[in-house]
Amino acid sequence: MGLWRSITTWGAPPSFNMGLDEALLEDLEAEPTARFYSWKPDTLSLGYFQKYEGVAGTSSAGAVVRRITGGGAIHHVNELTYSLTADDSHPVFAGKLGESYQRIHAAIAQALATFGVEATIRGRDTVLDSERDDTGMCFHKSSCEDLVWGARKGVGSAQRRKNGRVLHHGSIKLGTTPLEGEIATVGQIAGKIDPSKVAEAVRHAFAEQLEMQFEIAVPTPAERHHAHVLGSRYLDPEFVRRR
Amino acid sequence: MRPDDRHYLSSHEWIKISGETGIIGITDFAVEELSSGNEGDLVYCDLPEVGRVLENGETFGEIESVKAVADLNTPLAGEVSEVNTAIEDHLEIVAEDPWERGWMIKIKLSNKDTGKLLSAAAYEEILAKQS
Repeated sequence: MGLWRSITTWGAPPSFNMGLDEALLEDLEAEPTARFYSWKPDTLSLGYFQKYEGVAGTSSAGAVVRRITGGGAIHHVNELTYSLTADDSHPVFAGKLGESYQRIHAAIAQALATFGVEATIRGRDTVLDSERDDTGMCFHKSSCEDLVWGARKGVGSAQRRKNGRVLHHGSIKLGTTPLEGEIATVGQIAGKIDPSKVAEAVRHAFAEQLEMQFEIAVPTPAERHHAHVLGSRYLDPEFVRRR
Repeated sequence: MRPDDRHYLSSHEWIKISGETGIIGITDFAVEELSSGNEGDLVYCDLPEVGRVLENGETFGEIESVKAVADLNTPLAGEVSEVNTAIEDHLEIVAEDPWERGWMIKIKLSNKDTGKLLSAAAYEEILAKQS
């Protein structure tokens, strides 16, 4: 599925993380890009349409941002976050929305298997042990394409589609947090693990299953500038509390 | 065959012209793509205020399903004259009937030039290439 840039940024600020993903979505000329990243400080991200008051964790989390992708809130601590950005006609995203999730999640499952995790796509009519009402957290709700193990959700994901482009956000839990509680994590099976190791396995699985060829890259100066400009709103209370 | 009494965008919105008014919604393909075929999968929709002036192709709203947020674009320019508030809390209406009861906004058209829009047949050709 062609050449992809692979951009890795560990411990980046939330405004940069969200700003760069949006910059990659907005740039109609940008090459297909996979990002692997983590957050500093620990950050709670709300889904685009979530009500701020409807997420209990906003009062106890340090930094809070609102994503441009939908779904529930995620506490970005002890996890590998990744994003994939390309045209919606790209073979990774083409066809029905559910099919793109299945394609991506099948590769993630292969990557997690290298750490002994037997992740499967949830499927229809399954209720998970990690389901909880009224927390607003992504990992406490599930849909049929989600990746689960041990009857709990372990990978959260969401997409934004705009101007013929797609941004796919994913969160692979390596450990849990008090806000997320009893969810599936890679750490439960593999012990303490560095997100860079998981990123390497995911990149390998993407290459093998989705025929993605990676070139290691850094954001261009223009992308950094655009990310900085776009990123400022992610911490703006007016945007974070817009609903 | 999709209804041929309206025009389409490749981003899956339709517009039906009735006198000076354009009625705008999304296609069954958009609903299926967003919802993976499950009616309850459409969860939020933001629509504009009455009186907002829209340019050709401008984003007038956003819709969220359990797995994606997507923009809603107007095929033609005009001023928003009516919003289908019935769907905001009942998106199953859009899933059940995207062509009639699931319309989203009406605009007072500032132009009726449909030359750059797709006919039903042309829209279906695009869908055929995507599948």
